[in-house]
This record gives sequence, C-alpha cells and structure tokens, in this order.
Amino acid sequence: MISVHAELPLQSFVLQLELQMEGSTIALLGHSGAGKTSLLELIAGLRRTAKGRICLDGDVLQDTETGRFLAPERRRIGYVPQEGLLFPHLDVEQNLRFGAASGDGAKQRLEEITQILAIGALLRRYPASLSGGEKQRVALGRALATSPRLLLLDEPLAAMDHELKERVLPYLLRVREAWNIPMVYVTHHLEEAKALADEVVLIEHGRVIQHGGAAQVLGPAIRSLLDSGGSLENLLDGRLEGSALRVGSGMKVWVPASQSAGERAVFTVRPEDVLVSLRAPEDLSARNALPGEVVAIHEIGPDVVLRIDVDGFEWLSKLTRVAAQQLGVTPGVRVFVVVKTHSFRRLS
Amino acid sequence: MEDLSILGLTVAAALTATALILVPGVALAWGLARSRASHLRDLLETAISLPLVLPPTAVGVLLLALLSPQGLLGSVLNRLGIQLVFTWKAVVIAAATMSFPFLVRSARTAFEEVNPRLLDVARTLGKTRLQVFWGVALPLAWRGVLAGTLLAFSRALGEFGATILIAGNIPGHTQTLSLAIFHRYQLGKDPAALRLVAISTALAFVAIWITEGVSRQRAKRLLT
Repeated sequence: MISVHAELPLQSFVLQLELQMEGSTIALLGHSGAGKTSLLELIAGLRRTAKGRICLDGDVLQDTETGRFLAPERRRIGYVPQEGLLFPHLDVEQNLRFGAASGDGAKQRLEEITQILAIGALLRRYPASLSGGEKQRVALGRALATSPRLLLLDEPLAAMDHELKERVLPYLLRVREAWNIPMVYVTHHLEEAKALADEVVLIEHGRVIQHGGAAQVLGPAIRSLLDSGGSLENLLDGRLEGSALRVGSGMKVWVPASQSAGERAVFTVRPEDVLVSLRAPEDLSARNALPGEVVAIHEIGPDVVLRIDVDGFEWLSKLTRVAAQQLGVTPGVRVFVVVKTHSFRRLS
Repeated sequence: MEDLSILGLTVAAALTATALILVPGVALAWGLARSRASHLRDLLETAISLPLVLPPTAVGVLLLALLSPQGLLGSVLNRLGIQLVFTWKAVVIAAATMSFPFLVRSARTAFEEVNPRLLDVARTLGKTRLQVFWGVALPLAWRGVLAGTLLAFSRALGEFGATILIAGNIPGHTQTLSLAIFHRYQLGKDPAALRLVAISTALAFVAIWITEGVSRQRAKRLLT
C-alpha cells in the first residue's frame, strides 16, 4: 500500500495529493504536465522539498513533521523514467549491472531479465544507438536488477505514435507474471490501463480528480480522458490457439496467422476499424462477427464512440454521428461487432 | 645546461601546483555545480575567480601579507620552523593560487553539463552520492575536468607576477622560465632570453594542443 499526503509547488501550480493506493498495478492518467511524473519522483525520493508524509507498506519514506527522509538509494524503489535515462558512457550490460547486487543469484536474475525483456542482442550496444522502446526496456531491466519492492514507470509520450515495437505493455505483462512486483505506471493508453491495472488514478493540475477500479474510472471518464490526451484502442490480451486468440473472458477472435500456439499475445484494433451491424452479417469477408450489446455512447467531436459488451469484453467502436443516427444505436440495443482479421495488430 | 635546470624547476613547480589543487578544485567544482543558487555560492564563486581578474602582482601582495613571517599564517608557520616565502614552495603556492580558478571553472561547467536526472536515477538504483560522483558524474565530465587541469597547468607554467613577489627571483631556487626570461632580457642577454622563449613556446604549444584536442573530442561527443 502506498499512501501519499504531500504538497509540492511546481512551476504553474501546487501539486496537492491525498492518495491511498492499494492495488498491485496502478495506472496514472492525465494531461502531460498534470503532475504524474512529479508524483513518481515524490515516491522515489527525488523531491526532497515536498512537504507531507509518504508511506510504503507501513514504512515511512518521508515525513516533514518528524523530519524523516529516507534517501532514494535506501528506498528499494525502481524508477523507469520517461526518457529511459540510460548512462550514456556504459553499454547495455553495464547499465543493467549498475545497480545490481553481485553473486550467483544476481547473475541468474540478470539472465532472466535479459530473456524476459528480449534485450539479449543489445548487451554490447551503447544507449545512443538504441530506439526509444529498446531504451525503455533496458531502463526497466536496470531497475528490475536491483530487486525493487515497487516499480515506478513513466511511459514516454512517444509511445503514442502507433509504433507497436515501442510499446512496453507486453513486457510489463511478462514482468508481472515473472516477479509479481507492484507497479505504478503512467500511461496514455486508456485500454492499456484497463488491461493491466487494477486501480486507476486520474490527475489534473496537481490534484486527484478520479480514483478507483480500472473499469469504474475508465468507462465513464472516456470523454475527459480523451480530452487530456489519452489514446483509444481495443486491446486484447490472450493466448493463441492456431490463428485464433482466446481472451481472458472466454471470447475468441480470429487474428492474423502465427506460428506460436499457446503463447500469450497482445493485439490492438483501432476503434475506427470496428464495424457495427444490427443483423448477423452474411456473405461478408470479415471473419469476426461477435454478438453483443451497446453499453454506452460517447459523443466525441463529429464522431461517437460505442462501448459494446461481448461476453464481458468491452469493444470500442468509432462511428460518425450520422452513421450512428441512421443505424439507430442506443444503449441496450443488440448489435454484431464486425472486425477484419487484418485489423488486428500484434504488440511486440 | 642552465636552461634545462630552469625548465626542470618550472615544470616541477607547475606539476606540483596542479597536483595540489586537483582534488580540492574538482571537489569544489562538483559542489558548486550541484548546489542550489544562494548568496553563499555567489560569494564563493566570486572569491575563487578573483585571481582571474586581479593583477597577479596584487595577488602576490595578498599572499605575502598572508604568508610572510610577519603575516597571518606565516607567523604561525614561522614558529613551527616552516619558511615559505622566497623558497621553491612559494613558487608552487603562487602558481597554485593563480591557476585554481581555471580548474574550478572548467570542471564546474563540465559537471553542469551532466544531466542531473541521470544522477537522480543512479540514486534510485541504490548508489550513494559519492558512488554517483565516481560512477556517473566523473566518467561523464572527465574531459572537461582534464581540460581544466591542463589549462591550470599551462597557467602555472607561465606565472610571473605573484611568483616574483612571494618567491623572488633566485637562480637555481625560485627562478622559473618566465622570471628568467625577464631577468636575462633586463641584463641585455637577448639570445639567452630568446632560447628560453623558444623552450616556453614549445611547452605551451604542447599543453594547449592537448587541451584543445580534449575539448574538441568533448564537443564532438556532446553533438552525437
């Protein structure tokens, strides 16, 4: 459990946080410049001038009243900054080893990290020659090598550009599976937050404006989240069965053929690539036609975004306002979600 | 032969002076680069930079006031049997004082160029301030520190004004290249003076060549 009661003057406003986070994976959302990075730095111990009290699992990290301030090097909190911030004078392996303990256990852990984050081929390279996504993965590995009790992760805004290789999500899923370290992470992908996090905190102008379970915060807040720079997509995390993907909720979709059966895979589909039909489509080339029910309609500019429930999975479909009116979709209407196999794009 | 011994004395004094200021200079530069703006810092910076702007002879007079047997510190040392003024040690002290700001300013700029967030990240990886200095700051700033050291060394080689005041011009003891050139010229021994000028030029050339080379490499690295 992380509790933050802190005040920190920033350039244009004062960060004022009263926050009790209990989840094992917490997503932080909000405008860039809303104070998300400052919150991470506060927890990491890099903002000594902050006033207030910060605790992690009953351990007081900082308390202005008693004058306690635990130095960052003694907090055992891994921090992965937005830019990665690898040490430019060290190669990837030296970066990974920088904070690692010595000994056999540590060596084995480094090997595991290298394998899980798929950075084995980069070990001899220097940070200047790495792509943004590679830097982020190495920075994640460098933090993991110190065996932290909490991981703080700042997703780069650059990952918003639809560069699938740059996305860190698939690796975070693997990291969570392998070590089960609690994490707080800043993301701009709403569906990513929904897929990974069990708790979501929405921050604006240095204050918490919404806080709760992922579905509870993200559903109703789509509009304001999009306004604050979030990115919308359908994110399917499941296991491959031949050329189908079985999602956690049991839903099965056809995805582009792959060799790796049984493997965990994450796919994205843009909401504008999700069609809606009132009747079961016949003689259509698209292979995915899934019956569901419209849960909500959000008006966003000239478009609407439909949230459609299919066996517990919520699809997002983006239509023009005119198309939605002609179709006559309202909450409660039963529809078919239609997606071409090739609209699925695999992450990593 | 005499020329060579003058050269030897000069280089030895400059090397000793540089070695003397290296650790405190780099530590001070690091402290200044990492400290937050304050009046105390400004005051310290100004004080350190004084030898850059003051006439060297003025610095010499100040040093004399401090170190002569009647001086503030000199009287204490005198009682302990330590004599500084008009000895080889005074040559070193004059050179060290005059070249100190060159080292500090150059090293400080180099440390300020290191992204402070990198140092923060190093702390979260379990490193203490001192470990961060050795493991991150110094490896990233070493070229600037080295350039500053060479610059300080070059300045020490040519020191004249402060040296002549507190060390005098004693052949074989405190007579450095610059003092000897002046001395010979005054005595009308122009060819002998010119020989020393040639030696000085060669020495300065090498020192500056190395400094420039290091700075160029540093600039190139920052661009990539």
